[in-house]
Amino acid sequence: MSNYKKTYITVSFIVVFMFFFSYMLVPLYDIFCEITGLNGKTNQERIVNLDEKPTNRFVTIKFTSTVAGAGPFDFEPLEREMVVEVGKVYTTSYILTNQSNSLKQVTASPSVVPGAEAEYFKKIECFCFTQQEINGLETKELPLQFIIDDKLSSDTKTLILSYTMFNTTDQLGVK
Amino acid sequence: MSTNVQDIHEDHHHAPSGLMRWITTTNHKDIGSLYLWFSLLMFFIGGFMALIIRAELFEPGLQLVIPGFFNQMTTMHALIMIFGAVMPAFVGLANWQIPIMIGAPDMALPRLNNWSFWILPFAFTMLLSTLFFDSGGPAAGWTLYPPLSLQGGNSMPFVILSIHLLGISSILGAINVIATILNMRAPGMTLMKMPIFIWTWLITAFLLIAAMPVLAGAITMLLTDRFFGTSFFTASGGGDPVMFQHIFWFFGHPEVYILILPAFGIVSTIIPAFSRKKLFGYDSMVYATASIALLSFIVWAHHMFTVGMPLAGEIFFMLTTMLIAVPTGVKVFNWVATMWRGSMTFETPMLFALAFIILFTIGGFSGLMLAMTPADFQYHDTYFVVAHFHYVLVPGAVFAIIAAVYYWLPKWTGKMYSESLGKLHFWLTTVFVNVTFFPMHFVGLAGMPRRIPDYPVQFADFNAIASVGAFGFGLSQLLFVYILYNTLKKDVTAEDKVWDGAEGLEWTLSSPPPYHSFEKAPRVE
Ligand code: HEM
Ligand SMILES: [Cu+2]
Repeated sequence: MSNYKKTYITVSFIVVFMFFFSYMLVPLYDIFCEITGLNGKTNQERIVNLDEKPTNRFVTIKFTSTVAGAGPFDFEPLEREMVVEVGKVYTTSYILTNQSNSLKQVTASPSVVPGAEAEYFKKIECFCFTQQEINGLETKELPLQFIIDDKLSSDTKTLILSYTMFNTTDQLGVK
Repeated sequence: MSTNVQDIHEDHHHAPSGLMRWITTTNHKDIGSLYLWFSLLMFFIGGFMALIIRAELFEPGLQLVIPGFFNQMTTMHALIMIFGAVMPAFVGLANWQIPIMIGAPDMALPRLNNWSFWILPFAFTMLLSTLFFDSGGPAAGWTLYPPLSLQGGNSMPFVILSIHLLGISSILGAINVIATILNMRAPGMTLMKMPIFIWTWLITAFLLIAAMPVLAGAITMLLTDRFFGTSFFTASGGGDPVMFQHIFWFFGHPEVYILILPAFGIVSTIIPAFSRKKLFGYDSMVYATASIALLSFIVWAHHMFTVGMPLAGEIFFMLTTMLIAVPTGVKVFNWVATMWRGSMTFETPMLFALAFIILFTIGGFSGLMLAMTPADFQYHDTYFVVAHFHYVLVPGAVFAIIAAVYYWLPKWTGKMYSESLGKLHFWLTTVFVNVTFFPMHFVGLAGMPRRIPDYPVQFADFNAIASVGAFGFGLSQLLFVYILYNTLKKDVTAEDKVWDGAEGLEWTLSSPPPYHSFEKAPRVE
């Protein structure tokens, strides 16, 4: 093989590899975030095999909410604060009102602070697992069931759970 | 190799004339000139946008343009200066200089070379045309951060397509540079005997082929997020906008070295010529360049200290960033040591090279301040960052390009530019560059955010000064055009060895050099 050919092959390989590498950065980033607990991501799917282990340790959970962009929604937690026992299942909910006249599709995306403890905030039932639909001017109660894992670090006294509500009605359409 | 020789001879016998000559040319000098003229044109278009920005910022309040258009100007100014002015100028210099500095007849891939140039005018026409759309051009900044960039008007797919084209053009250019340097050197020219400019370009070309595909990936993800329902960066679909910043800067930081390494090569060529000494520490220059290039891939997150990283991450990126100052310091030391006890003279290229060393170093220092994580929490997204990157890019990259043009223009054309006009150009440019960008340090430290069309009155004085400087700088560049015009209309009189202290194969050729540079390879002992 001539030297030229060798150069072209090596160089083209680097170009193609780096293009795919940029896509490989996506799963790498997620793994990295999971290991470091960055981003405060919580479980995306329901937890099934669950056993309650009451610990007699109590932490405060604060609930907050945001509507992304200028969505026509009112979105608030039912309770702003709960004191919960680690290892026990609790239920609460968020209240969503569609202030427009038309049917909307929405998705909520959760985040926990401090991020490093997010994985111990386990959701059993959550409106954030699936897309929701809401009629014009309707008010809906969106249920949430969770348990705090007993592996939660003992320094943690407060967790903040925040939901951002996105309007996904015309996600595919060009705005 | 045989096909290349054939290509060249074909041209030689029935080379078309007039416009077709330029459209079909595969000659490295013609293509080099095309790149350089194109870059000059883009420099003025991008410069005009900068003057719109500075005119708006001359005093507080909104007077000339609406904020949306202001944002389009900051975005376009950066895209045009980076991809249209600085990068094509370096590729133009590579095309002109690489064959005549390594003793080759032409570049390795002449046809491809023609392509990589002619992609550019199309890409920039498309990019600039978005300004005339109803929804205007891109306005989310050259960094294209989502979610903002996903919410822009109809320009977005056009901008992304043009950036793709620019990327393809630079990748093809880089492949050509690598193939030429690795395979077409004159017998006897080992890697460690290559001129330093060739070394810096070889390393830059590797940075290009490694970094540009990552940019291509990032903007493709933006495109599919917007039009095909993926959610790499849309939080409503489980994506993460911060991830875009990681991918972008994984490209972005190597990119800033793409913009400066060839400049290092130019300065390392000019300083010895006018000090009449050999370059001090040639080997360490090569190793320093290579280590800067390698390190540039592990420091990206210094652009995003404030997004919320774990402490370990902040410290890692702070320390690696500071580490880059070490090889950079080696270079500055070597340039100064080269001048030490040299018989220095101060022709125009040397003046620009000297100003480069001093002013680039100021940019390096502000870079070090920004590299300190806690300090960056204050400086981030202020005019201090604007001051930093303009010091490394204008009296850095742009000065090096101007120095290179003055240095090699007599070789390219056989005509000597006017030394007194050149010096006048230098002094005007140097004074105004500082009047423009130095005050930005102060308003930045005082908290003025970047990319805004209006500001509180306490920043008024320094902004007025910067705007005056910007107009002075812009007008001084018209003198540069006049000098080029004035030179080109002269008769051929320059000697083959234009500068008595200059070294290298290019000076053994006639001025201007023959159409096919080295028909017979010279021997290098
Ligand atoms: C000693 C070397 C350098 C150091 C330590 C350094 C450090 C930094 C840091 C920490 C930032 C981020 C500031 C912020 O956004 O808060 C930055 C921004 C920047 N630097 Fe440098 N830098 C260096 C050299 C260079 C060079 C050589 C260039 C280009 C020729 C360059 C171009 C830029 C640009 C364009 C930005 C701003 C990007 C943007 O946000 O639009 N830097 N630098
Ligand atoms: Cu950087």
